[in-house]
Amino acid sequence: MTMNKIKSGREVMVVGVGLHPFGRFPDKDLGQLAIEAVLPALEDAAVKWKDIAVAYFGHVYYQGMSVGETSLSKLGLTGVPIVNVENACSSGSTAFWQAYWGITTGLYDMALAFGAEKVPRGPVTVTAEDAPERYIGGDHMMAGYALRGKRYMEETGAPATALAQVTVKARQNAAMNPFAHRKDTYTIEEVLNSRMIADPLTLFQCCPTSEGSAAAVLCAREDLAKYGINESRAVSVAAAVLTSGDYNGRGADHSAFSPYRTEPAAIQAYEMSGISPEDVDLVQVHDAATIGELQQVEALHLLPFGEAWKGTMEGRTALTGDIPVNTDGGLLAMGHPFGASGIRMIHETVTQLRGEAGPRQVANARIGVAQCSGAGDVTTVHILKRG
Amino acid sequence: MVTKRHQQANILGMAGQWHCIIPTMPDSESAITPVSIDPQRLRLTNDDASTGTLIGFKCNECEASVFGPAIFCQQCTSTDLKAVDLGNKGILFSFTIVRIPPAGWPGEIPYVLGQVELPSGPQVLAEVINCEHKDLKIGMGVELVLKSVPAENGGPDKAVYKWRPV
Ligand SMILES: [Zn+2]
Repeated sequence: MTMNKIKSGREVMVVGVGLHPFGRFPDKDLGQLAIEAVLPALEDAAVKWKDIAVAYFGHVYYQGMSVGETSLSKLGLTGVPIVNVENACSSGSTAFWQAYWGITTGLYDMALAFGAEKVPRGPVTVTAEDAPERYIGGDHMMAGYALRGKRYMEETGAPATALAQVTVKARQNAAMNPFAHRKDTYTIEEVLNSRMIADPLTLFQCCPTSEGSAAAVLCAREDLAKYGINESRAVSVAAAVLTSGDYNGRGADHSAFSPYRTEPAAIQAYEMSGISPEDVDLVQVHDAATIGELQQVEALHLLPFGEAWKGTMEGRTALTGDIPVNTDGGLLAMGHPFGASGIRMIHETVTQLRGEAGPRQVANARIGVAQCSGAGDVTTVHILKRG
Repeated sequence: MVTKRHQQANILGMAGQWHCIIPTMPDSESAITPVSIDPQRLRLTNDDASTGTLIGFKCNECEASVFGPAIFCQQCTSTDLKAVDLGNKGILFSFTIVRIPPAGWPGEIPYVLGQVELPSGPQVLAEVINCEHKDLKIGMGVELVLKSVPAENGGPDKAVYKWRPV
């Protein structure tokens, strides 16, 4: 693949973020969940709904047509473009990516990116009834991660305890996060002794499916004053990259489970921002299973290939380490409402860079990366920068 | 015993054409020849659907192989492709013992899911059968074996490709 040098335009800032707790909310429909993240994001930005010039809504499961429009109509009809975005587990981060590009190109002053989901309980499948994958037994997200885990352990010598430590750390972070779906903490032994899903992955090493929502308001830096936005709490978007699959003869069966698209996306993002991996203070990655976190951190060049498991065991990815990973608990403990997760990562990154993460605060956090993956080898990498 | 498949055949008004369907004799089900699980990935090589070869394309420009359908090369985007047999042997690249199966899984639980690398490069996911879990090893040789599985929505059985240790 030829990698495009990405040319951005106007500097774009995240000026407000909002989050609805992740969990199970049978009394709220998708639109209601969405609004309950959008309102706090608008309030956080101290802007009015009528200032939003465009909105992008990430969600995956069908909940009726044009849910983005119907949910936002409760705030008042303003006639702005509203786009419903489906890009698997990266739907939310894709909505954010679109909002960025809508502003940097000069089309809009201010944009809303939001996402919400009510994921059904049980294992997640991708294909429709009677599809070949159903007979082959390969349409199983966690089995796909398990294949990666088994291979990673063989190649790197990582023990099962290193994978389990990813969950232990995620739960410790989530215990300090009132928005998390799972807040109980576990020992390595408890993680390994939970029900086996597909070896080496036990239940506590797989993210829960969840309901929830997240929202972000973005604005061009040069337009902040026009809308009376407080620049001191605004966080700059230094890179926004979206990629899709490029399977290089590996075969479609395999590509859905591979993390290999993260590295080229990360290289593009580092080039676009002029930021190098050594400059990164914290990172949120797509940890739908423990092995995912290890491989994504390596693909982002934040720890050497084959060594993220050691870094994890040594505490380097903990809140107090040199490269804290999934500071809010990640998918493993926050849970995974597909359309919301990508923007949840932005929410956490912005909160950390503002120094407003309370007991989870990473000291002197200035630059944060958010990486989100989805079926179809969708990968997004965003780099955010304070000031 | 009336199976789901027989009911489907009756709904379609096809029972009369399928002289082999005798609802009181389930053993006769195998008399209907299974069809390939995916004709773009598995070509049956005998009449009773017991043997087959994986198929795909090879690029005449860069030599990359693709498992399954392709219009252009996935590596170099050339459209100069030739249909090829990818054979029935490979090496176990990774595997997992799946204890909680996905929706619609028609086989036994637990089952072994194998990620197998073909000699020409592509990787193919399928169940690994005829093996003791403790004997499974990354790097071991495996070969294709076809098993007939009832179709989820009725119709002829599906000939599904699986792997077994060589
Ligand atoms: Zn080629």
